[in-house]
Amino acid sequence: MHAIEVKNLVKRFDGITAVENVSFTVPEGAIFGLIGRNGAGKTTTLRMLMNVYMPDEGEVLVRGASAGHEFRERSGYLPEERGLYKKLKVFETLLFFAELKNAYGKEVEEKAVEYLKKFDLYDRRNSKLEDLSKGNQQKIQFLSTIIHNPDFLVLDEPFSGLDPVNTNILKEIILDLKKQGKVIIFSTHLMDFAERMCDTITMIDKGKVILAGNLQEIKAKFAEGTVKIVCDGDIGYLQDLPYVEKLTTFGNTATVKVTEGGYVQDVLKKMVEKDTRVHSFISNEITLHEIFIALAGDDNDVHVQSGGKNA
Amino acid sequence: MLNRRILVILKREILTRLFSKAFIIMTLLIPLFMFGIIGFQVFVNTYESDHGTTLKIVAPNTYAMQKFQAAFAQADVVKNGTYKISFDTLGGKTGEAYTQEYKEKLLQEKLNGIFIVPEKALENKEINYYSTNPNNPTVFGKVRSVINEVLIDMYFKDRSLSKSDKEFVRKGVNFESFRVTKNQKIEEEGSGNLILSFIFTFFLYFSLLMIGTNLMRSVIEEKSSKIVEVILSSVNAKELMIGKILGTAITGLVQMAIWLIPIVVVAQTSLFALPENFQIKVDLWMLGYFLYNFVVSLVTYLGIFAAVGAMFDSDQDAQSGMWPVMILIMIPFFIAMGLPARGDNSLSMITSMLPFTALMVMPARLALISVPAWQVLVSIVVNIGLMLTTFSLAGKIYRVGILATGKKATYQDLVKWLKIK
Repeated sequence: MHAIEVKNLVKRFDGITAVENVSFTVPEGAIFGLIGRNGAGKTTTLRMLMNVYMPDEGEVLVRGASAGHEFRERSGYLPEERGLYKKLKVFETLLFFAELKNAYGKEVEEKAVEYLKKFDLYDRRNSKLEDLSKGNQQKIQFLSTIIHNPDFLVLDEPFSGLDPVNTNILKEIILDLKKQGKVIIFSTHLMDFAERMCDTITMIDKGKVILAGNLQEIKAKFAEGTVKIVCDGDIGYLQDLPYVEKLTTFGNTATVKVTEGGYVQDVLKKMVEKDTRVHSFISNEITLHEIFIALAGDDNDVHVQSGGKNA
Repeated sequence: MLNRRILVILKREILTRLFSKAFIIMTLLIPLFMFGIIGFQVFVNTYESDHGTTLKIVAPNTYAMQKFQAAFAQADVVKNGTYKISFDTLGGKTGEAYTQEYKEKLLQEKLNGIFIVPEKALENKEINYYSTNPNNPTVFGKVRSVINEVLIDMYFKDRSLSKSDKEFVRKGVNFESFRVTKNQKIEEEGSGNLILSFIFTFFLYFSLLMIGTNLMRSVIEEKSSKIVEVILSSVNAKELMIGKILGTAITGLVQMAIWLIPIVVVAQTSLFALPENFQIKVDLWMLGYFLYNFVVSLVTYLGIFAAVGAMFDSDQDAQSGMWPVMILIMIPFFIAMGLPARGDNSLSMITSMLPFTALMVMPARLALISVPAWQVLVSIVVNIGLMLTTFSLAGKIYRVGILATGKKATYQDLVKWLKIK
């Protein structure tokens, strides 16, 4: 059974379809990444998951049952657009959010103290939120998401707006929560984060799922027949080879996709023949970023070479 | 209807509001302000700066002059030294000629006025008054009855009239007002209930405005600070709105109780000796009706305020966008405030049964006149119907509005929002 199963979600605004028939599954104990560029429909999907928006069509199943209040109580949600009551005190803020999730009493208070100490904020527990620095507010925001010890964590662009230190702290917490067996869903447009953290991904673009599955499997599949090249000079001639499916260049680096793994050698041979100075030639490896661009890139994002011209 | 999540929201609303400095200060200031206005009006109306007024009464002859002298010697205003009155005879002069001699004194206000009682006045009671301030009702009020008595005595001097006849003739007409109600007892009525109707209307108006804008601000704060999305992941929009409205309404009730308790104490006990004319008659069911009416008004208007708050991202935008709500509060308020003069005309009868106006006009009417039971019933049905309607419409607007971002919502957008399932 899947921890979470999203089935055929559809959401329209004013006649525009923001999310079109999105389905995916999240396995137990996994970090799941919902990836896509800005405006792809990630936030809308997560909002429907959290029942902030009612889906126009489709449903969300949690461990086989329709997602209801129990799911929402057992989950922590960190929206992309964050906010706290500015006049509320730090400690009261944490207790309020816990209470919203039906968690109260001594246990929660102890947990709050523990977290505040861990994040060096214990001596600020009676400060109003507005008196805290932005970084500390972000910490409180995140703590209020996990204070009730949720089984599911839904984080919408959790790393956006964080400084490097807080980014690292957050990354550690997420990995730590994974160890505790929590199901973590996060959305991001930052592919390297997704690549380093996710077990499973679903990539959406223009409201539709364009790729889904186990990250390692996806990478293995896409890496097959992919060559990353760093070289000098124009390599547009590769485009004309019959076994080259696609050539993507960024300055002096290029990615070549050949129709079959065996042709990788032929690419190298051709380059030597053409007297191109090759600095590096790595086969059968690909980053999520490259997969993303290969699938969802357009003229605004990348420059796909055609006709032998370097863009 | 009430679940745990609503209670969490409700609790926070009450705690953050009830103990906020602004709330406490406003709660104490508004009654002071209101009683200040009433007190000031009463003061202005009753304040008579006539101590030390000097007057001259000029009689046509010595006999009449002695009569006036004797009568005024018995009058309170002279006895307690408020007025100093000197007497004289005309000595054949015209009133104008006589006054001319004293013009200087009058202008310097060493003398405040001269009453010229010409010979003819003994027949027709036409008396001339010369003063720099000739239309002074305070002076007239204090002098009139004494002069009248003297004139009557002199007129009937040679006719054989019994003492009781004379007393009857001397006496002016006096109106005492009584309130007729369904009750057996017909009670004497002072202006206390006029004040009561004023107080009811005033409190209701201020409370709705204050509590309503508070709620609107808090909705805007949650929307603009984006906290609403976090909350909505635990609580749905309807629960959030119900929790906020009920929490705010409870603070409103507490505030109203703080305002009304002094009035009930004044009305029901003799701790404060009010002048008889200002006695307030509050029976319990009138108070009950007022409280019911207050709760219904709060929920109705708070729903509207919440919806308006959900439309806007900032207080400034909301200020300019809330005029339709202001009209919905102001019009009933002004109708209710104009009520004392025409408590029983058809405008007040109809408006006491129409949506929105019924909320303010009916309690004010009840304080003033005896309203037929069927009208009260119609009013209750209309009020509750209105409350349910506004609540469900406001809920729809709120649900869409709090998550809407981007351009400022217009009242055209509302129609669109209302159509969203």
